[in-house]
Amino acid sequence: MSDRLTPPLTAARLVVSRDLLLAFRRPEQLVHPLAFFVMVTTLFPLSVSPERAQLRAIAPGVLWVAALLAALLALDFLFRDDAQDGTLEQYALSGQSLTWLLLGKTAAHWLLTGLPLSLMAPLMGYTLGVPMSAGAGIMVTVALGSLALSFIGSIGAALTLGVRRGGVLLSILILPLAVPILIFGSRATELAIRGETYLAPMELLASVVVLSFTLAPLAAAAAVRISLE
Amino acid sequence: MTWTWFHRLGSPPYIYRLAGILTPWFGWLAGVLLVGALYDGLVIAPPDYQQGDGFRIMYVHVPTAWLSLMIYTWMAVAAAVGLIWRIKVAHAVAAACAPIGASFTAVALLTGMLFGKPMWGTYWVWDPRLTSELLLLFLYLGYMGLRSSFDDLQRADRASAVLAIVGVVNVPIVHFSVVWWNSLHQGSSLSLTGKDTIATPMLIPLLLSMLGFTLYFVAVLLVRLRGEVLRRERAASWVAEVVAT
Amino acid sequence: MGGYARFLWPAYGVTALAVVLNIIWARGLLRRAKSEARRRIAMQGETR
Repeated sequence: MSDRLTPPLTAARLVVSRDLLLAFRRPEQLVHPLAFFVMVTTLFPLSVSPERAQLRAIAPGVLWVAALLAALLALDFLFRDDAQDGTLEQYALSGQSLTWLLLGKTAAHWLLTGLPLSLMAPLMGYTLGVPMSAGAGIMVTVALGSLALSFIGSIGAALTLGVRRGGVLLSILILPLAVPILIFGSRATELAIRGETYLAPMELLASVVVLSFTLAPLAAAAAVRISLE
Repeated sequence: MTWTWFHRLGSPPYIYRLAGILTPWFGWLAGVLLVGALYDGLVIAPPDYQQGDGFRIMYVHVPTAWLSLMIYTWMAVAAAVGLIWRIKVAHAVAAACAPIGASFTAVALLTGMLFGKPMWGTYWVWDPRLTSELLLLFLYLGYMGLRSSFDDLQRADRASAVLAIVGVVNVPIVHFSVVWWNSLHQGSSLSLTGKDTIATPMLIPLLLSMLGFTLYFVAVLLVRLRGEVLRRERAASWVAEVVAT
Repeated sequence: MGGYARFLWPAYGVTALAVVLNIIWARGLLRRAKSEARRRIAMQGETR
């Protein structure tokens, strides 16, 4: 047996496949954030106005607020199971770079939550009066934004591990950091809906994404170690 | 030589005594400066050409906004020092900063609103500077909320340190927001180079106020710091001597 | 104060309030920390 450590990228990939496999054994967990997203979106035509023109005007904001709330809800199970059964501790003690392992975990989490959200978003956009032609733009912008959200959210999830009513605290902590994503994302989605070019806010969003997936796992790893002390 | 001094700063009993000695100096000096600034700002300084007496709100708005940013920066730096080098006193500094920073962020927002209403006709607008300053308040409150959710003070210190460091990106955003974006909020009133954008008789009370508030912050910080240091040093023997008085 | 009085005084007032309250809060914290420490030391002394 080689006593050289598995390269970090391989370790991260192994974590991704493990998390995906485990998640598909309990698919109900994945449905909750999606269902929440659908329900929150439908609250707006019911409470604001069923008029298509009005809905279309607020559609970007509604989609993003709903996606943000659903993502916050979903962050609950990012670390929960692994923290409970001691896997997280094993990751920290394994001698592998915890940063890379958490990168893998968060990426898997996005594949399970953010990606389905972004696929669902054009449908919900349609119920808000947005033409299906804007669907691709909505999908891309929500996909990018939810990716950044997953990574920034992982910091909050790591900080609130094991805290009672940690879910609420997590939301409060993450919200200020998530606002730039919300602003750029909804701006990009708005332009996409109007059929205009959404390159500029997308670039800003993309830079936030890059920043978050490079730096957030570092902070999350530090936070996990603190929580496990 | 400098390192010995730095190491002594990390010693809780030393910091406790030093803070106790320095507090009245900072406190009284701050008091003098603030009273002077108050009188100068409200009585002596002339009304602004365009903004009339409304400009006088700047004498409290600018220093409190400055404090809100400076305190967060100190909080994040202290948190980082405490996290990296595991220095309890640094964590105590960070913990002491937060409530002061939060309250003055709220004051900055409120005084800004009271300035905005007569000047631009609205209490609030969602422009980058006001929004990011509001976010700063949420970051402070989140920091304090995270701290209070742990019974273990050490975990509270270390977890909130990570949060403080992550949130520090907001400070340059607040500061540069008027440069990067078209903002309703006016650009900087003070410039170190080039021609001044503010007349001298109005600059003096502003500078007095800024200095006074900064010294005030240090004084209050030192008092809180002593309390925070005591909380982290419960079992140590020096505490017994100190609290017997 | 021109027409600005009803904005000026609340602005200065809320600032003064924050200044005073912070002083009170800080001193309260220190006082509570001291009495907590005294209590703990007294308890330790009793168990000896």
